[in-house]
Amino acid sequence: MSADILSFIIFLPAVVAFGLMITTRHVETVRNIAFLATTVILALVLKIYIDFEPSAGMQFVTNVPWISSYGINYYIGVDGFSLTILMMIAILIPTAYLLLWDGRTKGYWINMLLVQTGVTGALLSLDVILFYFFWEIMLLPVFLMIGIYGFGDKVFTTIKVTVYTMVGSLLMFVAILYLGVSYFNEFGSWSFQYDSLTQITTLSYNEKIWLFLAFLSAFAIKIPIFPLHTWIMETYKNAPTGAVFLLSSIMAKLGVYAIVRFMIPIFPDIYVEFSTWFVFIGLFGLIYFGIAALMQDDLKRMFAYSSASHLSFIAAGIFSLNEFGINGALYLIIAHAIATGALFLLVGIIHDETGYKTIKDLGGLAKQSPIFTTVFAIMLLANIGLPGTNGFVSELLIIFGVYEFNHTLGYISALTVIIGASYMLWMFQRAILVKREAGEDLKFRDLKIKEIIGLTPWIILIFLMGLYPDIFINKFEPTVTHYLNDILQIGATK
Amino acid sequence: MSQFIHILPVLTVLVAAVALMFMSMYQNKFSVKTYITVSSIILVATLAFVFVPFGETFSVKPYSSIFNNVLIFDTFSNFFYVLLIGGTLFTLLIGEHYFQHRSYFTGEFFSILLFSLFGMLLLANANELITAYVALEIASFSVYIMVGYNSEDSRRVEAIFKYLVLGSFMGAFYLLGVVLVYGATQTTNLSEIATFIANNNISDMPLLYIGLTLILFIFLFKISAFPFQQWVLDVYRGAPMIITAFMASTFKIAIFSFFLRAMLQDIKPMIGFWDSIIYVVIVLTLVFGTWLAITQKIIKRMLAASSIVHTGYLLLAFIAIGKNIDAAYAIVFYLIAYLLSALGSFGLVSHIISETKVRVTYDDFKGLAHERPFLAAMMTVFMFSLAGIPSTIGFMGKLYVFTETINAGYAGLAVLAILATIVSVYYYFKLIAMMYFYPTNEKCMSNDFNDKRISTYAIAFLAILTVIGGIGSAIVFFIPALNIDTLIDLTQISIQSLLIK
Repeated sequence: MSADILSFIIFLPAVVAFGLMITTRHVETVRNIAFLATTVILALVLKIYIDFEPSAGMQFVTNVPWISSYGINYYIGVDGFSLTILMMIAILIPTAYLLLWDGRTKGYWINMLLVQTGVTGALLSLDVILFYFFWEIMLLPVFLMIGIYGFGDKVFTTIKVTVYTMVGSLLMFVAILYLGVSYFNEFGSWSFQYDSLTQITTLSYNEKIWLFLAFLSAFAIKIPIFPLHTWIMETYKNAPTGAVFLLSSIMAKLGVYAIVRFMIPIFPDIYVEFSTWFVFIGLFGLIYFGIAALMQDDLKRMFAYSSASHLSFIAAGIFSLNEFGINGALYLIIAHAIATGALFLLVGIIHDETGYKTIKDLGGLAKQSPIFTTVFAIMLLANIGLPGTNGFVSELLIIFGVYEFNHTLGYISALTVIIGASYMLWMFQRAILVKREAGEDLKFRDLKIKEIIGLTPWIILIFLMGLYPDIFINKFEPTVTHYLNDILQIGATK
Repeated sequence: MSQFIHILPVLTVLVAAVALMFMSMYQNKFSVKTYITVSSIILVATLAFVFVPFGETFSVKPYSSIFNNVLIFDTFSNFFYVLLIGGTLFTLLIGEHYFQHRSYFTGEFFSILLFSLFGMLLLANANELITAYVALEIASFSVYIMVGYNSEDSRRVEAIFKYLVLGSFMGAFYLLGVVLVYGATQTTNLSEIATFIANNNISDMPLLYIGLTLILFIFLFKISAFPFQQWVLDVYRGAPMIITAFMASTFKIAIFSFFLRAMLQDIKPMIGFWDSIIYVVIVLTLVFGTWLAITQKIIKRMLAASSIVHTGYLLLAFIAIGKNIDAAYAIVFYLIAYLLSALGSFGLVSHIISETKVRVTYDDFKGLAHERPFLAAMMTVFMFSLAGIPSTIGFMGKLYVFTETINAGYAGLAVLAILATIVSVYYYFKLIAMMYFYPTNEKCMSNDFNDKRISTYAIAFLAILTVIGGIGSAIVFFIPALNIDTLIDLTQISIQSLLIK
């Protein structure tokens, strides 16, 4: 039974979603059932988190044939990396439900459930075809959400975001098949399991670089890493709050996760060889997106750039080739998901209530809504890495990592954190604190009790992770150490 | 008796076609519904006959004293029987709505449809070049007639004329090819040609090479590969919608049945010679097909143009046969995947326009999801499948085809095909966007549209198959019978029956 618990977690939302699709119940019933399903998942994930042994191997593994003529298996399992992100997703989604609670339609909730299946499935897949399967599946509900519930030129936006991400995914698809064929030619049987693909030795240097880039294109577009980011601006601006939340705080993280899960073990030597470039690109993105965020007037766009900026930082950490960097990147994945997720949802509330989302139209919200302002401030400070919050720990670790990797780049990374602080605080001052310039004060409500309950676990996590990082890092550190020892050795010997 | 069971399906279809022809003499006595019912029952019965020896490996040439070995019955042909009869049956069921709302569909139409099925079944059995030609022409002529059936549309004249003239022209090429082959080998029997190739030095047979290459042209023409894709858009446009569905799916499969047999069983060395020709053909087919598809505004033409792209994918696996036989399974699987999705999508459009006639362009499809959510959902499934999105059978088809292509060493072609797929996401998803993201297009609404029809259920069944074909094994824990592996096993058994000597 313990082995099937992961399958249950993956497919429960989809099954519930299909059930809800054919009912004619009222939207509130639909939402309540969907919410219930996510809390059941949260409970199960908590159980897994407690049962999980902090060691390097895969746990809760299920491995059954799916398409046996091509050696494709339904192969899922969880290790230190995926466990942390699984936990994050399980906590984030129900809270998001609480913040999105009112005024949504049936389809909105059904799509949210379907995304959860796709995301969790992609996270837990250890067979690359299965991973690809879920990777594509998670895009479709978001496509529908943006198209149906979005704003502005939503149809163009949906087509753009879909084609954009498909370009990456399909290139990755060819690379996956190429790897499968190489494995077949070398070992005489088909397999697409990530641990079999790591054993391929026949690939030439050039082939590896092409395959590496094909994989990277899929993940870099999703994250997004500079210069593959052009889709996010319109998307974050025109998409409904739920979709922005899912894209920025969950799916983008899966791009980072996938780099660690598949690319590093399969191409360790290329990873080592090109790491300098990617750290550099990561830091460039950090600065570029940071400056772009400074100049935004639209709140959602500003957070889009800020999110991209932090994700570039994560990418720099991943490629810094040491334990500090990778631990920090994983930690920042969580920290950023919480802070950015919450900020997008809070901006969603501002937009729903006032009808505005540009900084110059807003102002003076603090007076009318002290709780809202406090929560907003906490998320903001966590996002810019104030000591005591989880953002601080993660940024510090990454800066250590980059410093160890290359001193000069380390200094740059430490200095650029200032940019983040400046645009965030400047925005906070203009949009929330000072009096509104144009016209009368805006009517704005404070957070409801439901929303406060939803946000509480996040706030607790922010400080818990900030003050006692050990309890969390202990869970995934053995995996990271194992990874680095093995991979750096292989990378060095190849 | 045991030999008789093999020819029973073909015979049934032939007798039924003739019987329907006589029935149609009494125009007023029977309604269109009666014809549909009768033909469907006959097809179901035929399917039952086919299933008697289904799944076993066999290869027989029955009544060789009468047929002189021109016909061969094996698991391979049996497998294609199921697809061809199934395709025709679904064409009838999906078209039920369409046929009843178009006055020009009368009794003899169904007779012609069965005649074309008869030709296609015979083609799957052909073991000789002239027999194949006769079978192909029986099927083709029936299709020519059906293309011109829409007496309310002035474009039909252009469509039928173009198709008929070009088709006959290609037929002449074929015959010329046969003559050259006969000149070189003194036989037109495929098995004997195979023996001849095996016993002679490859470089000593220029006539055979030219002859077979001429024969290849008709294959490329019928499956609408470059440079023979010109006719597709106009012919598909002028033909009644449901016939377009039939041509794009079932008829294409029939063509493949003969050429796969010839290729795998008999003239395999040729594929090495054709390699570079087909390579260029694939590249141009993909490029032209994609370009045509993105420039279309009319849904029917978009689907027609995208069928050219799918031809490109199929040829991808076809070229790979030269390197490894596994590619043949990929072709058969892709054919099944395409049969389901193409029949579904064309059929669905024909179902929607059967009463109104206005849902023609992308714009006309605006807001369909609000008006008819289930039809829109099914259309979405078919679009996903055609675009190769995971969880549909189209994804599986692409997975197999691309894997085998890469395995055969054509990674460059696979990348090109992926690029074509990326573009296809654009034109398929545009339709989904139209259906879901816009308010309903007022002038295209029809209030008295009855959704509870046989057509709707037939399309729904196809949609379910499309999804199950994609994730069947993922739910293998619950329903063991629905396994993609079973389907692959069947394709493998059928292909392997070709290699029985």
